[in-house]
Amino acid sequence: MVPVPTTCPFCACGCGFYLLANQERLVGVAPSEAHPVSMGRLCARGWGAHEAALWGSRLSQPLVNRNGKLEPVSWAEALDHVAGRIKELIEAGKPVGVLGSARATNEENYLAGKLARAGFHTNHLDFSYHSICGPLLKGLEEVCGECPPSISLNDVESSQTILLIEGDLAKTHPRAASAVMAAVEKGAHLITIAHTATQMSRLASLPLPAVPGNEGEVIDGLLAAVLHFGLEDQTSVKVHCEGFHTLRRDLEGAKITAEMRQAAEWITRATRATFLIPPVSGEGPPSHRESTALATLAAVTGHLGRPGSGLLPLLARCNVRGACDMGIVPDRLPGYRPLADKEARQRLEGLWGKDLPSTPGLDAESMLQSVSALIVLADDPPAVLPSGQRAKAALGKVEFLVVLDAFLTPTAQMAHVVLPMASFAETDGTITNMEGRVQRLHVATDPPGEARPGWQILAELCARFELCTAYRSALEVLNEVGCATPKYRPVCQGEDKWGGIGMARASNGWKFRLLAAEAPRVTLADGQHVLVRDGDFDWGRDPLVAFSPTLSRDFQSERKLFPSGYVEMCKQDADAVGVHPGRPVKLTSAQGEAVIPTRVRADLKPGVLLVPYAFRDHLANVLGTHSVTAVKVEQA
Amino acid sequence: MVFTIPKEGTTKWLEKLLEAGEVIAPVRGPCGDVIFSALRSPTQVLWDFENPLNPPKQFVLPQTDPLVKIKRNGQRHEVEPIYNDAPRTLFNVRSCDVAGIAFLTQIHEAEPADASYLHRAHNLTLISLACTTPCPAGFCVCTDSGPFLTGGYDLQLTDLGGSFLVEVGSKEGEAALAKAPDLFRQASENAVTQRKELEAAAKAHFGPETCHFGSAMRRISTGRVPDALWEKMADWCLECGGCNFVCPTCYCFSVKDLRQNGTWLRCRTWDSCQYAAFTLEASGHNPRAQRKERMKRRFFHKVSAQYYTRDGAVGCVGCGRCVKTCLGSTHMPAVVAAIRKGKWHE
Repeated sequence: MVPVPTTCPFCACGCGFYLLANQERLVGVAPSEAHPVSMGRLCARGWGAHEAALWGSRLSQPLVNRNGKLEPVSWAEALDHVAGRIKELIEAGKPVGVLGSARATNEENYLAGKLARAGFHTNHLDFSYHSICGPLLKGLEEVCGECPPSISLNDVESSQTILLIEGDLAKTHPRAASAVMAAVEKGAHLITIAHTATQMSRLASLPLPAVPGNEGEVIDGLLAAVLHFGLEDQTSVKVHCEGFHTLRRDLEGAKITAEMRQAAEWITRATRATFLIPPVSGEGPPSHRESTALATLAAVTGHLGRPGSGLLPLLARCNVRGACDMGIVPDRLPGYRPLADKEARQRLEGLWGKDLPSTPGLDAESMLQSVSALIVLADDPPAVLPSGQRAKAALGKVEFLVVLDAFLTPTAQMAHVVLPMASFAETDGTITNMEGRVQRLHVATDPPGEARPGWQILAELCARFELCTAYRSALEVLNEVGCATPKYRPVCQGEDKWGGIGMARASNGWKFRLLAAEAPRVTLADGQHVLVRDGDFDWGRDPLVAFSPTLSRDFQSERKLFPSGYVEMCKQDADAVGVHPGRPVKLTSAQGEAVIPTRVRADLKPGVLLVPYAFRDHLANVLGTHSVTAVKVEQA
Repeated sequence: MVFTIPKEGTTKWLEKLLEAGEVIAPVRGPCGDVIFSALRSPTQVLWDFENPLNPPKQFVLPQTDPLVKIKRNGQRHEVEPIYNDAPRTLFNVRSCDVAGIAFLTQIHEAEPADASYLHRAHNLTLISLACTTPCPAGFCVCTDSGPFLTGGYDLQLTDLGGSFLVEVGSKEGEAALAKAPDLFRQASENAVTQRKELEAAAKAHFGPETCHFGSAMRRISTGRVPDALWEKMADWCLECGGCNFVCPTCYCFSVKDLRQNGTWLRCRTWDSCQYAAFTLEASGHNPRAQRKERMKRRFFHKVSAQYYTRDGAVGCVGCGRCVKTCLGSTHMPAVVAAIRKGKWHE
């Protein structure tokens, strides 16, 4: 049994472990005490990481759809067919697009970007999860500029105060939850802002309740408390912050409770304080204002840019940050540089030998609606996008759909051409965790059948569009990444088996633009309840969980037991409406109406209804494009 | 029978052992970790090391363990058991892990005996290296599974400085010595005394982790652990299952068929009693739906008098691996202390 060091392919914490393989078959996982992030600890997903590659419905041959059936063909035939059809469509003036992925490697994403920009001459380039984390990243950028300061999970562990906007950290990012727990055990003050009694909020010194969608009000309250009691960090405000007076004016009249004052004091007094925030999806500017307000709170209290203190966005999928760094965003170039950045453009045009398109492309959601040809790299948009089944319907209408994946996902089943990829256990490459740490994947076993590493397939496609792609290994692709984005240069040179680090650390030159959250995301009329789409990622439909016998059990049973989904409410609300648990209710919002079974949950506050992200499709009419909306609840 | 072998003789002995079959020993892994791995050369083996986090359990009970091959033959199915009879030696394994494998073997020998496990275990020679320095998180002295062993091993080595004392525990141990008989000499009385002194010194140097199983056993066996305490502790568990997977005595499993080249392999896979769906029934009912109930069940199995009477030991060998791998803070010493004191984090 040969232990092969690799990086966990699930969430963006970026733990490391050894994959164990026996006679070319994966056998299991062994933790590594030497890994800088996980240090011998893994969550359930990490312990089951080998399962999907072993048990999953693996793609092992290139397939082409003929007469409604996917039939095996040779690699050359499949690749020529893809290149030929796309060239035809481009010549006919039809839009084509590429979806990269938060579960593909940096090398794969980089080549997907190169194919789109230099090969297809388009900026229609995005990844599904970007529609969820986009508002958060945009919010941070508004405050911090293009490259927000970064912190590590070890910083969280040694914090004295932690402010956590709580989704359900224990479930979404167990390694981060572990860091918070370790800090609390050492005496740190944990402040949570949550609308349910989650595991982390029960450990909190100060659980601040929030109406879902209006978490911004609580953060504004904390900001107001800091200013009202003169707790701001004078140096930070004077040297690094802009807009302090406007902020003070904007926060006039914000409600400050005794708890908020206490929290503000803990945050200000701490030498090291960390702020954790999960992505907030949904329509309209307020959806990202919580992250701007949180970054503002961190900045005025002097915790942004200070070593060991700062803000960490809790990204769901392993390589969200890498996909952004590789420029898999309609208006960003590799290095997350704006499209208009002259220096970055020139560097890329020189490197790729082609002129780059200058108008921003379409995002993932719009691409599905309007492109004629779409290349999907290890992504399953209906499972990830908030629009769910509507995204699936849109995919069905795409004239030419090409899917590169290791697994037969619902999207792959709809493809015109399927190109089988090696899974994370069968390829070399790097992924970038939420701290900004660039870490390596190593080959543990051969891919099944004729499947090839993603970078090879994309290089073949690039070559068919007259792009230089003489790569002999994933490392050579990474070397080119280093030329395209200087931030990745040190990683290419690193000898470390786990990979190098590319974090933006503290500097003295930060400039922060202070902004309050202001507008709540939802306003309620009399008798209305607030309906929340809970969580912004459904692990149950992720192939690495769905195909793992151990990890999929919970999700599968939920779906079997509740084929029509459910909405959760508290007993008091259920009694007031006169509905028995399990029986359906009718929900009506400004967007539309739907009938859905109910489930009673003890820790919900009256007036709040939750629908799990997995069941969002059952309430698509009611939610529309919102993640939080006001609803009327009646007996069905 | 007690022998000594000079340190320089071990390379030759290992060469002989390697000729006879696979030798698995702690080696330095590619990223600096100490891991159990099949030796390619005698020089790879580590003599001064902290016990690897991943126990050698994987060599008798792999995380994915094909049990039978199922083939279709016309209208019938042929079922063929898969046994691994290859002779293997586990070398420089620590006392706690020897105790762990002895525990697992006892469980799998109980009727109905588990042939797949036993084929592996009966072809495994255990050569242990007694711990003259206890590991920082270990508490094997509380579980009677170290730092030195009185049985369960085939051979037990003790580092005497210039040589190793070799205690023979079984016929398999004798056979391992017989591979290179010239290297071993009858041990002197001095050497035996030195071993006793080393054991006493090791026992006096344990770290801060202790586990007073006795009083915890009384409380847990008689239902005197308040529900509120389980509830409190459960909030500090992140349901990673790590405690089960690194535990040398945990053996719970699930079964899953793997399709391969037209045949099916029925595989046993490690499972964790801390996972919500571990006891999920087909109806959707789950007798242990809440984390506190799963935790209570785990520690009842590990520490209660009912299981102690059945197995002759607590389900813990004091290796301290759960202390290192716990993503939360509900490892064995912490929970046993909480049960004993009736308090958690106060």
